[in-house]
Amino acid sequence: MAIGEQQTQEDEVSGDEFEANIGWRHTLAKIMEDATARFGLYVIAVVATVAVVTTVDANLSRLSLGRIDDFSLIESVWYHPERHPDPGTTERRMPPFFVDGGSLEHPLGTDRNGRDYISRLIYGTRISFFVGIVATGLGLLGGTIIGAVSGYYGGRIDDVLMRAVETLYAIPPLVLVIVFTVFVSGGDPDITYAVFGVGLAFIPVFARLIRSRVLSVREMDYVEAARATGVKDRDILRRHVIPNSFAPVLVLATLQIGVTILIVAGLSFLGYGAQPPTPDWGEMLRISHQYMHSNPWMSIWPGMAILVTIMGFNLFGDGLQDALDPRIK
Amino acid sequence: MGLLRYTLNRVLQSIPVMFGIAVITFLLVNSMPGNPVDLMLAEQEASPELIAAIEARYGLDEPLHIQFLNYIGASWILGTVGIPGFTGSPPGLLQGDLGFSMYYERPVSGLMVDRLPPTLLLMMSAFAFAIVTAVPLGVLAAKRRNKPADHVSRIVALIGVSTPSFWIGIMLIILFSVQLGWLPSGRLVYPWRDPSHYGLSSQLELYYQTVRHLILPMVALGTLQMATIMRVERSSMIESLQKEYVKLARAYGVSERKIVRKHAFRPSQLPVITLIGLNLTSAIGGAVLIETVFSINGVGRLLIQAIQTHDYQLTLGTTVVIGFVFVIGVIITDISYAYVDPRVSYGEES
Repeated sequence: MAIGEQQTQEDEVSGDEFEANIGWRHTLAKIMEDATARFGLYVIAVVATVAVVTTVDANLSRLSLGRIDDFSLIESVWYHPERHPDPGTTERRMPPFFVDGGSLEHPLGTDRNGRDYISRLIYGTRISFFVGIVATGLGLLGGTIIGAVSGYYGGRIDDVLMRAVETLYAIPPLVLVIVFTVFVSGGDPDITYAVFGVGLAFIPVFARLIRSRVLSVREMDYVEAARATGVKDRDILRRHVIPNSFAPVLVLATLQIGVTILIVAGLSFLGYGAQPPTPDWGEMLRISHQYMHSNPWMSIWPGMAILVTIMGFNLFGDGLQDALDPRIK
Repeated sequence: MGLLRYTLNRVLQSIPVMFGIAVITFLLVNSMPGNPVDLMLAEQEASPELIAAIEARYGLDEPLHIQFLNYIGASWILGTVGIPGFTGSPPGLLQGDLGFSMYYERPVSGLMVDRLPPTLLLMMSAFAFAIVTAVPLGVLAAKRRNKPADHVSRIVALIGVSTPSFWIGIMLIILFSVQLGWLPSGRLVYPWRDPSHYGLSSQLELYYQTVRHLILPMVALGTLQMATIMRVERSSMIESLQKEYVKLARAYGVSERKIVRKHAFRPSQLPVITLIGLNLTSAIGGAVLIETVFSINGVGRLLIQAIQTHDYQLTLGTTVVIGFVFVIGVIITDISYAYVDPRVSYGEES
């Protein structure tokens, strides 16, 4: 934060956009210097590409099947056309190719329905990636609004909002998300509800951070100046307070995406996240858990996928933190 | 005296939060479209009389705000005071009554007495495991900053925060139970039970079995905590080691070992205590999953069973209790923080 701020202040020559640009470029350059953060960025890039390509692919096949009537934007993100096992592959729970009984036709074997395991793993990327980003984004949005209002106005509003946030914080996210998903959906849980559930559960984390940032930024001279010249509260919040509180929030959001992926995997593992036949890593672990004795391989791959993805976000988040605030190391 | 008042203060402060937990949970569970009775009866064919009887029994025929007053036990108080319309209301949360579980046909509070101890045992041992491993490793990493030991500890911490706890559990079962056959893969042996219950002859044997059964779930649940504590311990220790008084001690020729143990260690523990308080939520969430993986009959698994069996009051009760456990845990960490850090003014007017 400190560096980013100084940087923009030093280069105070032209409009907002230009300054922001220098800050960004500077940050990105610092991240690329850091080998681990760079690795994290590459992992995210690969995961993002896989997620986007598979989503497009799944929806193209939906179009070709003529299933446009039930089109919904949210569902299209995890729509999966494969309603039945691949025809032709009958062998179920086949081990990976390097074990006796495996074949290169199905490099990581097949699942209990005889579906190719590696392709389900690849398609499963979508849920983790999009849910991770969208749910975190919702929490960020809600938390920013509540935290900014709370910190800026203070007094009564602050008391009420912070009590509410504190209460929400007291219910463990996973528990909150399970109860939310099951009950708000009316006993028919779906990943869409999970997205909103995680968003709700993350409001406190972001609200608290934003509020503390706002409390310090609020006292800055430039905010005082804006207020003195008669700028509206809402504009002060939007143009000065929130942008200047954003660096630590961005770091938190990146790390929080990893937490979201963990929660959603746990949710699917319990059976309240992605519903079959949609391929999802947590869901795959839920099924493979039953075959720990006969085919332990089935449990290994989805967990590895989750691990690598979250590690990408964590490495990048740590790098971002170092780049934005070199004091902590 | 100050500490006692501080404790009391913290407890009083948490009352609105506990009330809020009851409100949020109640609203969530009631946000369901349709009637909870439909969900309770699931696919069963039920006569209107049966539905009406169930509604009356659980007070579901009342308006929502009255239902809430009933649930938290305010109606009972109003009834005993003699306000008409509330007389004869059943006791609720305030009286320690969490409702009645339809599936288990038992009061929810009775179920909690059975199910809370295993969860607490699991969580406490997980935190103990995390602290015992993370603190020395974090100190070591700080002392050997940017040396191989530091890199190893950072990699371990990174993997620890990036891995789902239930997957670690599954991997541990596959390795140590299925493949090697060294440790049991599920259920706990409770040290507070009579050894004969498990067919064991002595108390010592009982403890041995408890430990054996506890190791895998403890490690699975504790890994995330270990990783986060290790990170904070490391950075906090590095900060302490750069403090002026440490430099002074070094200038006086105090040995590095003594500096770490006598000067830098204690102040570095404050952020760790804060972190443990913050980590309680993820630990409880993790306990839900770990209890499922290891078939441990704790509160977390009870919540899942309550949801699966459409047990409305049990779901409500379990969620509220989980929230309360967290609040109490945070109070305990706050108090220990105040105890360790002499600078904390106990919220007194100054």
